[in-house]
Parts: sequence; C-alpha cells; structure tokens
Amino acid sequence: MKPDHIERNHALAAEYVVGTLQGKARLRFERWMMDSSKLRRQVWFWERRLQPFNESFAAVPPPKDVWQTVEKRLFPDAVEQPETMWDPVSMWDKVRLWRWTTAMATAALMVMLVWAPTAPEQTAYLGVVQNQQAEPVWLVNTSAREHQLTLKALPAVSNVGLDQDYELWLLPSSGAPVSLAIMPTGGAELRIQLSNDQVRELIESRSLAISLEPKGGSPTGQPTGPVVYQTRLIEL
Amino acid sequence: MPVSSDKLVVFLAKTAQGDRKAFADLYQSTSSVLYGMCLNLLRNREEAQDVLQEAYIQVWHHAGEYHVDRGTPMTWIMSIGRYRCLDALRRRRHDSTYDEVEHDYADDSMGPMTEAASMKDSQRLSACLQELNTEYRSSIEMAYFRGFSHQELATATGQPLGTTKSRVRRGLDLLRRCLGS
Repeated sequence: MKPDHIERNHALAAEYVVGTLQGKARLRFERWMMDSSKLRRQVWFWERRLQPFNESFAAVPPPKDVWQTVEKRLFPDAVEQPETMWDPVSMWDKVRLWRWTTAMATAALMVMLVWAPTAPEQTAYLGVVQNQQAEPVWLVNTSAREHQLTLKALPAVSNVGLDQDYELWLLPSSGAPVSLAIMPTGGAELRIQLSNDQVRELIESRSLAISLEPKGGSPTGQPTGPVVYQTRLIEL
Repeated sequence: MPVSSDKLVVFLAKTAQGDRKAFADLYQSTSSVLYGMCLNLLRNREEAQDVLQEAYIQVWHHAGEYHVDRGTPMTWIMSIGRYRCLDALRRRRHDSTYDEVEHDYADDSMGPMTEAASMKDSQRLSACLQELNTEYRSSIEMAYFRGFSHQELATATGQPLGTTKSRVRRGLDLLRRCLGS
C-alpha cells in the first residue's frame, strides 16, 4: 500500500534521506517516489535542508586514477594520458580545439589535430579525426620524444572494401607526400616509429592527409586514390 | 577554490548535452567534496573511490534531470553520492565500533553536525538542531554521519529498537517542523 498520509510521507522521506529507511522498505519507497512527485519533493526538501551537513566534511582530493577510470568507462575512445601529464581540464581544453577547425579539402570530412606543447622532452600531439557527423573516427597520438605515432581506430571508421585501405600521409612544406602508415580499422590500434625527419616535417608542416588506396597501400609510394581527410595541425 | 553554484549549473547543463569538457570541469570542481564525504561515511578509501566513480557515471547519464528543486548542483551531486555510500554501507555493514561512535557523539563536543551547523547558510538548521534534545539529535546525527541503521543505533545507544525508531522519527518530525516554517 502506498503511503497516503502527509505526515507519514514526510516521515518516510526524512528517513530515506537520513538513511534509516532500509532494506525492502527503502526499495519500496524508491518505487513510490517514481510515481509520486509529491514524495519526490519531500525528499528534495530534506536533501536541501540537510545539505549543510554534507558541507561539513573536509574536502579530500581523490586520486587521479578515479577520474581516469570514470573517463575510460564512459568514453572508451578517450586517449590515455601518461600519469604525469594527466589533468582533465587541460586535456579537454586541447580537445575543444576540434571545433575551431574549418572545413578541409573534402567538404564532407574533417580532421582536426591538436598539438599540445609541454616540456620539450615530453612534447606530445593529440589528434582526433572526425567524420561528417562529428563523430571521432581515429585518434592520433604522438610523442616527439619517443618519435612514436599511435593510431587508434574508433567504431565510427567507415568500412572500406576488402581490396582497399586508408593510408596516412605526411604533407611536407615542400615536396611529395610521405607515407606514414596504413590506418587501422575495426577498433585496432597501430603504433609506428617516426624518423627524425618525419618528426621535424610533422612539426613544420602540420599537415596530414588520408587517402583511399588499394589493399596494402599505394603501389607507387604516392597517393593514388581520393584524399578523404586532410588537415593542418593546430598549435596551442 | 569553491566554484559558484551558477558555474556548476552551467557545467551541469553542458554535461547534459554531452560536453565532456564541462563534465571534466564539474568533476574537478566537486569531486574533492564528494570524496571527503564518502571517506567519512565509509572509512575505506577503496570503497569511497568506487562510490565516487559510480556517482560521476550517474551524474553524466542523469545530468539533464537536475533542476532547481533539487537544491544547488552540489546538493544534487552530494545526494547521489550519499545514497551510493549508504548502499555500500548496507552491503558490508561497517566495522567501526559502536562504543567508539557513541563516545564521539555523546559528549556534546564539536562533532560534524555542530561544525556543519556553525557554517554560513546553515543558521536555520543550526537553530533547529539546538532545539532538539540530545537523544533526538545524536540519533539523527549518528544515522546521518555514520549511516547507521535503526538496529545499529539501538546497539550503539543501548536502547531497545522500538525506542530508537521512535527517537529518530520524533527527532526528524521536530526538525522538519522547525525547518519547514
């Protein structure tokens, strides 16, 4: 039977918030709350009134890995940051720059890369490739110090034919495109090693492109298929 | 540094729209307070961290349900965390000794409730608490700050279960009449 007396409702709401309403009675009350806006309001009354109690607890910063776990669980596509560099706000400040990029060579698709300068020996780059629906398609993560480029395919990567691959190109300030990698698909992650020249060119030109090529990559060493994504790095 | 409620409302509104940056801001602005509460209630770091995770996952999924009747965003977030702490307590029945707890609160020293009541914006709560007799007040206090059940309260105070339930109910009733005026 649902509570139908205002005093009884108040008593139950109070004990719900204070915590002494327990077990089946608590579960039952939660079901009633779903049906009764009056009951919900009574609970909110107590939550508001007793909030000063909550403010009396000393604040304690939680360990950083709590946030990392929250992020990982909610956004499995998020790029993992090294422990020493982690900071949720600065990371999202960087990612926010996705939105500043303008349309690129192909009207439909965009690539936005973010360059996050830190200490020289720890210079890192974070890139997010988005499709027309603004869904992240690939994550590109580089470490200048380690000369590494990590490419992570996300679920939004469009399928290509069995006889095709996406190929990533570095577009130098002058000269021909330099093939960097065949882009992974199907949730895979690929880590490649960059040469000194490639790192230097990447920083200098800040331009990348992805073309659709025959399986295994361009047979000529130069793009042969349509360029489906293109961008410039954005410097923070 | 505490972030204003207005700012938290903005973070919450953006979080409801899927803005991860706002969610990160919200976490950074509120998690220390929530974690402090969970540590106090649970007395266990690992459990407190688990609750914190679950609470913020809930915040992300339900940010759109926040509205002003829920109090400030902090009130809303703390309530989410509090109920999860209570669930965790139920699951494992904490092991702090009742004698210790009773001693902590029976001597009218500056307990969490008294500290809370002395804070700005809580004069009304403070005044109402002052009007309650010690039995009522300490029962509510132990329930709120320790997450005690009626049975645990009865054990802690050495009173029969029926008496304990009546005390809590009567104390809360008096408190509401005072607060609700």
